Order: sequence, then structure tokens, then C-alpha cells
Amino acid sequence: MERVVTVVPEDGLHARPAAKFVETAGEYEARVTVEPVDESRPAVAADSMLAVTGLGIKGGNSVKLVADGDDAEAVLDALEAVLTETVDESQ
Amino acid sequence: MAKQLTGVGATPRSGVGTVIWYERESTVSADTAQEPSDDPAVEFERFETARNTAIEEVETERDRTRERVGDEEANVFEAHKQFLKDPQIESAVKTAVESGVVAENAVREAFAGPIKQFSAMDGMMAERADDLRDVRDRLIRILRGAERTDLSALPDGSVVFADLLTPSDTAQLSPESIAGVATVKGGRTSHAAIIARSLGIPAVVGVGDDLRTVTEGETVVVDGNGGTIIVGPDREAIKQYEAETTAAVTNSSVTTANSVPIEVAGNLGTPAEAPPAVKAGADGVGLFRTEFLFLDRDAPPTEDEQFEAYYEVCSQFADRCANNDGHVIIRTADIGGDKPIPYLSLDPEENGFLGARGIRLSLEEHTDLFETQLRALLRVAATDVGDSIAVMFPLVSTVEELAAAIDRVERVQTALDAEGVTARVPELGVMIETPGSVFLANAFAKRVDFLSIGTNDLVQYVLAAQRDLDRMDSYQDPLAPAVLRAIDHTTTAAENNDAWVGMCGEMAGDPTLTELLIGLGLSELSMSAVTIPEVKQAVKDTDTAAARELAETVLACETHTEVRAALEMEK
Repeated sequence: MERVVTVVPEDGLHARPAAKFVETAGEYEARVTVEPVDESRPAVAADSMLAVTGLGIKGGNSVKLVADGDDAEAVLDALEAVLTETVDESQ
Repeated sequence: MAKQLTGVGATPRSGVGTVIWYERESTVSADTAQEPSDDPAVEFERFETARNTAIEEVETERDRTRERVGDEEANVFEAHKQFLKDPQIESAVKTAVESGVVAENAVREAFAGPIKQFSAMDGMMAERADDLRDVRDRLIRILRGAERTDLSALPDGSVVFADLLTPSDTAQLSPESIAGVATVKGGRTSHAAIIARSLGIPAVVGVGDDLRTVTEGETVVVDGNGGTIIVGPDREAIKQYEAETTAAVTNSSVTTANSVPIEVAGNLGTPAEAPPAVKAGADGVGLFRTEFLFLDRDAPPTEDEQFEAYYEVCSQFADRCANNDGHVIIRTADIGGDKPIPYLSLDPEENGFLGARGIRLSLEEHTDLFETQLRALLRVAATDVGDSIAVMFPLVSTVEELAAAIDRVERVQTALDAEGVTARVPELGVMIETPGSVFLANAFAKRVDFLSIGTNDLVQYVLAAQRDLDRMDSYQDPLAPAVLRAIDHTTTAAENNDAWVGMCGEMAGDPTLTELLIGLGLSELSMSAVTIPEVKQAVKDTDTAAARELAETVLACETHTEVRAALEMEK
């Protein structure tokens, strides 16, 4: 099962959104990979902070999520929510 | 001649102290000796145990930072936690221990690649390399069982010098004891700079290798405004910068340099604000706003409910007031149309800044509310903690209003006596905030025990510039000559009639104006808790004769610019 999501947080998949993304991916049984849509780079494991941060995904970029496992749909929903959450960094 | 080093000012304040070089744990990891291991399984288990400890530490630091600094900085630790749990790191460590190295070296090898990779990337990615180093060094320290340098327990007046401070390092710093921070590397937006700023610690970052020429034990000024470090400052420079450091909390009452007592008190909006004010060294309460009791509810507060709230604040301050001759000044409800109250039908204009509000409402439409409040106040005044209580009326602008309010107090006392309820009329006072009250300050001072100048409203009414209008922002200036003359008129009236006079409002909490205010004749200054220590220090540094001279110079000024110039001269 796969899904393409446009990243909303301005900083992209970085710092807090990245940590949240990785943590969420680790909470499900399904194996999830993430890869940038706009450039050709290999898909990486969504539960690795190093790999996810290393992609350098910026706000406005689209990513393809591929999930394989019983709770694939649930994990994609949860990850999409993380990627489209607007963060208030003004504080 | 003192040596001066330049960097980037990270916190706009300065401090003076003694250099302590903080060597981070990275020096630990500089050691590259390959110790052979006996058992890969044991080494991997050591790694796993260390990782669990590291995660616990990171969570503690995250919570601590969230509490002291804010969510955004706390999130850095969230990222660290995910790096610690990273499966790539885990498998790299596993491979390394299986090749026969000890866990410490396995960790170093596992992080080497990613650190190199991130360092080569630009901007924010490069910052992640610092995060990885921080995480790696934490793991190695735990594996070695090394004691962590305790940055939270440095002697008072320490200036921490370091190559670079990580978020974990900076989060440990205690603003009470640290006089400043300076680093070789780092920029204004580095985590360390942000955290230092939120904690109010003077900081200069990115000084460069020159910083290393300063040795431990030297006295330095950390000037976060100018972004400079002054090494071996002369007495003059120390004095100049010491005035800008965060003053230590003084719990005793203070006097000017020539022994004139000045009460430094706190402004409170709710009873919950009392403990922080006591902690900051407040001698008493110069303004307890009682509106909170009336807002956000469907019915007015009962007499007993109010009694509880006033009793609570008075008991928090009972010891302090007794020792420091302080007061707990409670202002009767200053309600107007700007804050909607469901059980009162108030109109933004009719009850606005120039409408029926404050004492006007208390004397006309809502005498019932006023009487209930007075009953509670007079009862608290007669309790074991009520000695220091004083009551003041807001927005009085005629003698008739004041006379009616005092009359009401006396009638309430008579009624309570008749009911056999223990009560006492405490000291009474008037807020000076309208031009009318300024002109009548003599007449008011004859009738009450004290006057208290509310500068925020005084500015608004004297300059006829509504506080909540953006376009009127430039008028909200307590140093406007018209406002200064109004303050002087008030203090003179109080003095001529043996009343005491205080000030509550933003102006009272500005330590750079303390000398002027004392010169203008104020004997009590009330402010939000945070500025109390600095104002107490400013009081101690003031000489009343010089202060009076300054006030006279300033009162002779006809423009704001001249006032500013006169105050600058004094510095």
C-alpha cells in the first residue's frame, strides 16, 4: 500500500516533525519506507531518524510512503497526519 | 589595558565573573585506542544498557527544558531520542562489536559515517551533525561510567567558557549562579544561544579561537549587548557592567545608599502569583487586582469566597510584611466594558475607558458588589494576617467620589459591628490615574492614608491616548514631560499632607528609572515579580540627594528627547 503526501511544516522533515514521524512509524507492525517524489533517491526505512533526516525533505516537497503489513493503512494515516500538521514554532 | 574579544551577542545583557573552562565529553571520544574485547555479546549488551540510560537522561532533559525554556527547544531532545533508537546505528554497533572492538569504539565507529555525511550538507542539516556528536558523546560517557561535569553546580559568579555548548549542556545551566557564557563556535541561532537567551544568561557565542587565549580563573565581562568579552576589565568597566547583571534576590527590606527605606513590592493578578513574588523578594503587595474574582463566571463572588482569596494573599505575605514594614494593597474591583462579565450588562463604550467603570460602577449601579467586597476586606483586616492590609479605590477623579467611597467603608464597618462580626477599617488610599485625581491630589491626601500612581492609566488619561489602540502606541510614554509633572504634583501633595505615595505600573519596574522615581518622592514601588531583585539593587545604589537633583533636571525638560538625554547623562 502506498501514498503520496505533500509535507506541510515549513522546516520539512527535520527536527521535531522528523522525530515525530520516526516515532510514529516505529509504533506500527507494518514496515514503512519513505522516498522523495521530486528527485530520484532510494527509499529509506521510515523508522530510522538518520535515514529520514538524511533525505533532507523540505516543506512543500512530496514524499511517497510505502507500507507493507497488517496495519499498513493505519500507519499511513498516522504518518500523513504528522506530515500535514502545521507546527506552531512561534513560541 | 584590558583585552577585548569579539563574537556574537546571544543574550542582550551582560555579566561579570570568573572563567571556568568547560571541557566537553568530546575529549573523551578523541581517544582512539582500539582495545580488544573478549565477548561481542557482552559488549552489545553494554551498548544496550547505555542506550537505555541515555534515553532516560534525554527524556529528563527534555522535560526540564520544556519547563524552563519552551517546547521548541525541548524538541531537540526528542530528535536525540530518535537518533539513540536508530536501527542503522544499532546494526552498525553490532557489526563493530562482532569484529572484536569494545562498545565505546563501536559507538564511535557507528556515528562516524553519519556525522561526516551531515557535516557535508548545508545549513540546518549541518546542525544535525552537532546533535549526533552530542548523542555519541553521551553514550560513550555512560559506557565509561564517567561522571558528567555538573554544570548545574558551579560556584556563583562563574562564566562558562567552552568550545561549543550542546543543548544538554546549556539546559543544565542555572541562571541564578552563572554570570555568563562564551563559546568558540556557534551562532546566534544555535540551540545553546536560544536556551541561554530564554534563561536570561548573558552570552557571547562564536568568539573564535582567540577565546582559548583566556585562562581559567581570569575575570571577564560578558557583554551580550555588544557581543564582546572583556578580559581583565578595570574597576570602572566592572562597575558599569555589574549594574546590568541580574541582581541577586534580596529578601530583607532595602534602603537607599543614605538609609532612606523604600518598599519594593509586587503586583498580583491572582493569589497564585503571591508565592513567586515572595520568592523574588517582594516586601509586600503594591497592587492586588481583584478583577479575577469577578471574571469568567456566571454569578458574582460571595463574601466568603472573597474573604478566602484576600486572606490567602495576606497570609502568604504576613511574615514578609511584618519584617519589612510592607503592605498588601488590595484594589477594589476595577471593572469596565473591556472585559465582558456575564452577570453585569456592560457596554464597551458606555463602560469604556472614559465611561462608567471602576469606582463609578461601585458607587452607582453596583453598590451591592462594592459592599460585599468591602465586607470581605474589612473582615480580613481584623484577622491575624490582616495588619498589613490596605484598600485602594480605582479611577477616582472627584472628592465627592472619594468621600462617598469612604462613607461606604464606614457604613459597612458599622453594619458589621452591629452584626457582631469582627472587622476593622484598614488604611485607605486612592489610585492616581486621571488628570482630575492629579489636580486634586492635595484634597485626596488629606482624606486618605496613601496615594498610588498607576502609570499605565495615568499616561493614557493625561495624554488622552487610549491604551489599546495600536496607533496610540507612541503616546504610551511614562517619560512624557506632562506625565512626569503629574507624578511630581502627586508626590508633593502627598508629602504636604503626611500621606505616603507609591507607584504601580510598568514604570515602577524599570530599574533604569528607580533613581528618578526615588528623586520624585516615591517611597513604594510595585512591579511584576521578575524585576524586583534588580529594582532592589537599584534602590541600594541610589543616593537621595543625587536622585532629587536628577528629578529636578528631568522636571525642567520640555520634551521627551531632553528627558532621555538627561537620564543618559546620569548613567
